[in-house]
Amino acid sequence: MLSDFELRTNIIKVIFSMVAILILGRIIGLQTNKANRDFQEYWEYVSSGYEEEITPARGLIYDRYGTPLATNLTVYEVNVNLEKSNFVGNAETIASVLSRILDIPYDEVFRKTNVSVKETGFTRKIITSFIDQERIDQLALTYDEYENLNGTKKNPAPTLYGVEWTPFLIRQYPEEELASNVIGSVSKYGDARRGVEQQYDELLSGVPSKSLQTGLPNVIHDDDWPKGSSLVLTIDREIQRTVEDILDFHVDETGSLSGVVIVSDPETGDVLAMATTSRYDRLPDNDPRIEFVNPAIESLYEPGSVSKVLTMAAALDAGLVTPDTPFLDTGIVEVGGVTVYNWDRVGHGQVTMTGCMELSLNVCLASVARDLGVTTFYEYLDAFGIGHRSGIDLEGERIYPLAIPGEGNLAAHSFGQAMNLAPIQMVTAISAVANDGVMMAPRIVRSIISNGRQYDLPPKVISKPITAETAHTLTEMLTVSLQGESSNIEVDGYRLAGKTGTAQIAPYKGHPEYDILPYRTDATNASFVGWGPADDPKFLVYVWLEEPQTSPWGSVVAAPVFSDVVNELVVLMDIPPDAIRLQIANQ
Amino acid sequence: MPKNLIQAYQQAPWRVQIQRIGLFLLFLVTSALIAGVYLYFSAQTTAVGVEIWRLEATQEATHFEIENLQNVLAEKSSVRSMEEWAKDLNFDRYTPDEVEYMVIPGYYGRQTAQMGPTGNFSNAPDSIIKPAYTQSLWEWLLEKLLKLSSQ
Repeated sequence: MLSDFELRTNIIKVIFSMVAILILGRIIGLQTNKANRDFQEYWEYVSSGYEEEITPARGLIYDRYGTPLATNLTVYEVNVNLEKSNFVGNAETIASVLSRILDIPYDEVFRKTNVSVKETGFTRKIITSFIDQERIDQLALTYDEYENLNGTKKNPAPTLYGVEWTPFLIRQYPEEELASNVIGSVSKYGDARRGVEQQYDELLSGVPSKSLQTGLPNVIHDDDWPKGSSLVLTIDREIQRTVEDILDFHVDETGSLSGVVIVSDPETGDVLAMATTSRYDRLPDNDPRIEFVNPAIESLYEPGSVSKVLTMAAALDAGLVTPDTPFLDTGIVEVGGVTVYNWDRVGHGQVTMTGCMELSLNVCLASVARDLGVTTFYEYLDAFGIGHRSGIDLEGERIYPLAIPGEGNLAAHSFGQAMNLAPIQMVTAISAVANDGVMMAPRIVRSIISNGRQYDLPPKVISKPITAETAHTLTEMLTVSLQGESSNIEVDGYRLAGKTGTAQIAPYKGHPEYDILPYRTDATNASFVGWGPADDPKFLVYVWLEEPQTSPWGSVVAAPVFSDVVNELVVLMDIPPDAIRLQIANQ
Repeated sequence: MPKNLIQAYQQAPWRVQIQRIGLFLLFLVTSALIAGVYLYFSAQTTAVGVEIWRLEATQEATHFEIENLQNVLAEKSSVRSMEEWAKDLNFDRYTPDEVEYMVIPGYYGRQTAQMGPTGNFSNAPDSIIKPAYTQSLWEWLLEKLLKLSSQ
């Protein structure tokens, strides 16, 4: 017979043993049960953490006054968490709601939703992407409505449990096609194409940051929201828009194949506007027309008489001539075995160098180049960057090395034939004349904004091909000659310097004159370069119209473009008329 | 007197038991206190952590909203919108002969964009989370003790 004490002791022992067995059983159960094992794995995963890559928001692009030219828009990817949707088994409800709100076929959503994780191997299934905020708001509202429905255990209420949406950013261009040839584009999938977008892609994209995500709330990390650097361009939106409109009008009116107008600040190399036709259509990603060429930096052409500015600059700088140096124009000259005629095939008799520029005499400029000598002439062209890249910070600039220097090409090169240049290279070279002989590198990006701070990029000097004195003398010559050369330039109150250009075009393969004539007889390239105010240039405008139909002459078709652009520029750039400016300066 | 005390304990063994129980309870209470403090701080950290999670989610949503609002602003101030607006207000486009240049003292024309303070690569932003939120209780305790000892 057990004593009371032993009995009580035994009962306690039994109770403790049973508790121990229960605990042991529970432990074994937890270790062997699949759901528990899954949870354990999940917990280990969550508590140990996983690295999540955060894609930075792409930096914005502004014009020189801070007007946004490229921004970002939030869109959403809608997906279904299969674990959750399978759990409630509401594929029909999800398919019905999503097809209605997101405007996609019911069958498509149902097919994607009504599968298990086992079948797909994925926990999430993407239903659709690039959904705008408005439709996501509608979806969120519907989701909440379903969540508030009351059901019973036997008859549960339908639910959208498992439907999720994730935001991401896509590129937007609020000014649409404005300056699209300069800005370029970014596809829906983030590929940068052309222009600044491609040139500065790394900077704009930023560095993705890695964030350690854990399910433990007491483990926190200092994760900063990454953002790509933003860019402030040298482009002035107002000038760009105005110049694009003027160019479109004149290309249409003259029946030209295409056109280019570049407006720059010769003092800094800032490109204020770069208008081209056609512009860069931001076409769908798979459109073959995506291969766009920016003619301002990629189209090489023979510039013609605008290049006489460089020849005369070299002759003045070398001390070979002065503005008043006389020249007897017979209308024909032979240089290096090549016979040169004037554009009008007429001899103009006794003229000065200023007259040579005013009448745009090939014979005069070819003779000047001959007298300058092959070595000196090409040293000057090299100093002006002819045959070299201008260094503009845009993707895709093309060059055509200058043909082997020699007497044979000397004459043609003196008036801008037999040499191929992109318009930006001509702008860079001639800007030296408008900027006291200092040639600045053309640039599109003015500042970089990173981590809330603005880094201003300093203008860069490329070279000093001529002296300031030569630059001033030539500007004065071109101011005088412009008044006589083209009556199509009327900008009241402002003295401007400029030069017209009419260039012949070599026949392309397949053209009727190919292999018959060195140049086509049915088309020309019309150009104009000008700057002002003549005594303190604030802008330089370069115009190129490709194969105008109404007239072949630069003075007739390209000069009015310059005139129209300058009439707007003086207002947009707040440039006072010369009289008022001098009055202010004297005060 | 110590001899008498030892003798007294030997004569009453329950006193030894009480002493042992007392020591055990002391250990238990101390452990419970430490655990309590640890739990208190863990709970506080967790609560703050959850709040930070919530704030981070808000921050993310705000970033997306900012991007959207910048886009809306850009569209509203785009050339096309401004032109439509001007047209609605019966503004006409000027012609060059209508323009008169006026000198306005103190007006220097449009100024180029200054989107932030001028940059200098040495001023990288510091961490915004205080160390108290990321260090363990022991690290915190050690830091406080070191601070006290240095005073």
